[in-house]
Amino acid sequence: MQRQLLEVPQENTLTRKLRRTIAWNLVRSTIHKSHFRFGLVVALSTIFWTATFCLFYESFIFIDSMHAEVMSLLFNTFFSALMLMMIFSTGILMYGGLYRSEESKFLLTCPLRAEAIHTHKFIEALWFSSWGFILLGSPMLISYGIVRESPWSFFVMLLPFMVAFVFIPASLGSMLCMLVVAGLPRLRLHAFSVLFAAATFAALWLAWSTFGSTQSQALTPAWFEETLSRLAMTEQVFLPSWWLSSGLLDAALRNHSRELSRQSTFEALKFLGLIIANAMLLSLMASWVARWTYRKGYSNLEAEMPCKRRRQIFWLDELLAHGGSKYGHPIRLLLVKDLQVFRRDVTQWSQFAIFFGLLALYFYNLQSFNYSNAYASLIGHLNLAVVGLILSTFTTRFVFPSISLEGRRFWILGLLPIHRDQIIWAKFLFSFGGGLIPCLGLIFLSDSMLGLEQKTIYVHLACCVALCGGLSGIAVGMGACMPDFRESSPAKIAAGFGGTVSLVLSALFILFVVITVGLTSHLNLLRNAGGRLPDNPILWLIGGSGGLAASLVIIMASGLLATFTPLWLGIRAFRQLEP
Amino acid sequence: MIQFENATRKYGKKIAVSDLELTIPSGELFALLGPNGAGKTTTIKMLVGLLQPSRGVVRVCGHDLVSETRSAHSRLGYVPDEPYLYDKLTGHEFLRFIAGMYRIPKHLTQAHVDREIKRFELQEFADDLAENYSLGMRQRLIFAAAFLHDPDVLVLDEPMVGLDPRSVRIVKDLLKERTAEGMTVFMSTHTLAMAEEMADRMGIMVQGKIKFLGTVSELRQQVDVGNKSLESLYLQLTSTPTADQINSPDKT
Repeated sequence: MQRQLLEVPQENTLTRKLRRTIAWNLVRSTIHKSHFRFGLVVALSTIFWTATFCLFYESFIFIDSMHAEVMSLLFNTFFSALMLMMIFSTGILMYGGLYRSEESKFLLTCPLRAEAIHTHKFIEALWFSSWGFILLGSPMLISYGIVRESPWSFFVMLLPFMVAFVFIPASLGSMLCMLVVAGLPRLRLHAFSVLFAAATFAALWLAWSTFGSTQSQALTPAWFEETLSRLAMTEQVFLPSWWLSSGLLDAALRNHSRELSRQSTFEALKFLGLIIANAMLLSLMASWVARWTYRKGYSNLEAEMPCKRRRQIFWLDELLAHGGSKYGHPIRLLLVKDLQVFRRDVTQWSQFAIFFGLLALYFYNLQSFNYSNAYASLIGHLNLAVVGLILSTFTTRFVFPSISLEGRRFWILGLLPIHRDQIIWAKFLFSFGGGLIPCLGLIFLSDSMLGLEQKTIYVHLACCVALCGGLSGIAVGMGACMPDFRESSPAKIAAGFGGTVSLVLSALFILFVVITVGLTSHLNLLRNAGGRLPDNPILWLIGGSGGLAASLVIIMASGLLATFTPLWLGIRAFRQLEP
Repeated sequence: MIQFENATRKYGKKIAVSDLELTIPSGELFALLGPNGAGKTTTIKMLVGLLQPSRGVVRVCGHDLVSETRSAHSRLGYVPDEPYLYDKLTGHEFLRFIAGMYRIPKHLTQAHVDREIKRFELQEFADDLAENYSLGMRQRLIFAAAFLHDPDVLVLDEPMVGLDPRSVRIVKDLLKERTAEGMTVFMSTHTLAMAEEMADRMGIMVQGKIKFLGTVSELRQQVDVGNKSLESLYLQLTSTPTADQINSPDKT
């Protein structure tokens, strides 16, 4: 008997319905289970959108007085950079979605076309790689339209322009991923690494050649002119980013003559048509590539043998395992275990390296600019906040779930002759030690590049120690207080209620530390600069050396409180745990 | 009907399955046994289309798994050892999705879904999200999904893991009933008693090759160990591990 197979539209309807049902159930269960988290996400997104809108609105009012070409250059630079990033982000997401997910493994055993599975995973990846663009691009373009007093047609065309555009880099990324896997299965990691390294190098070179090697003094009109002339390379007519920016600029034009208005709208529609046509063509090409390569590529990947690992002992593991007192031996062994897992988990260390590497690059480039003392101090404190925030995302994403994940293997640890407290202390020391070294280095780099006083550098380094301790304490303590032993995905554990509480507490702690030190340091700077401080005795008191010392004492005390209170709560909860 | 014609699968230089010649006719329950690293999982992956043979052909009801993948899959039901469920779908929604996938006519969908829900006693939790299911519940739902479209061929990889004795009984009865009606079952298992009880024929795979193919009584005739248990026969057949076998990964 011949069984009937699904037609293409039926396959698309089926997978669309699947995504819709999953999304609806996800929203419903999130609202039902964690009002707090849902409310927080909505509130923070609204605040972010509004703040970005205001920022762009003010910037466009400032830029609007300049020549129109500046806008074209800025749009081209922004959209071309975005296009490059989306090609890579979609490529990486598609690799995970098509070749490494349990869902694709399941769908490959069902009577679905390879193209249907690709389309299903592509739409998922498209959403993940482009939501940032929509969140950042929409306030930017709406504020631009308002400043330029654009006709209503501009606002109507915004969404089609943005949606059609994201299909182009996403399709390119998807094709790149499938061709690399199909063509170079054995060398896929090397190929990806080389491509990624080349793209990073190109971006760095571009950034350096654009901003770093200018002949004029930074932030002067001549410097702007020189920089803008270098950015002109993004205005290539064959780039989809150029079509997008040209189309948007045409759509935003307000003409007093009806004929001219119609003409510019028509021009914008032509660009929109061009983008839609290319988006459709590239999506179709991605489907063809999926038809011819996906199943074979998947099979080739499945058939790869894992690399044989040579048994070797890392010097740090050896040092930790055998150095120190007898009492600390179990803690050090647990630390060695966590270090080994960290080193072998590419997701963890690569994100760590990328974020801290980018920060280091940014801090290093701070020397290119000249600042007043007050401005340098302000940037120094903002950088302290940035380092804290990045560290808090890592502690929430990787350290917070570690207790829950340990719980799944609790029968191993539970049977070992160690005290449960030692597990918590090992987690804390791992997080504190792992975070402290790069954070101190980054703060030192930032402050040195900004040319801050030695006294301020010491204060910032002390704050950094307090931040690392507090953030690690919060993540480990909250992780032990609110573990989730049913979940095996660290990302899902971090995204749960406990993870959200941990992130919010971390953010509040960072805010408290940075505001406390920032206020006193800044007032101290103004006081020492000679009378620029308002004539207020309280401000004079806070801005004095005593105020600075008091702020340091407060920060260290709050650091100890943020470190040991959650740890104490966590240890208490962990002792009573019955997994 | 399942046919492996000279099917070979290499992992780099290592041959995981070598020149497998095997035909399982309609209405037969076939059990594949073998030590870890023998090639059972590779064989199953080729049979469900996750791996393409390096050489040879695998057919399901006459359809080549590589060139007529969808036709072959439409005849196939698969219960993996680690079942995948969409956490944010209820059992009921998942079964309706599977019904849509196998193009069960709309007017019959609800009847099929209700039949499997009743058969595997899923009523109590069919409307809960799958993220709240225990291992046994997940396994029962996967069985329900595999039987939903009345497949001609059913592939089972360690099927009874996580099932309670009552569910095991339901599955065993169902397998006997459906094989009597002509369904072919290909089962990979480490549970020798299960194979002895259920299988019409069994294959013992060692280092990528079928070392024995036949019934339990044929196995007793072939391996001269007196009137010993299937376990002793199996251990005798598979008791010469080589260095290569020891070094190979658990699942090949």
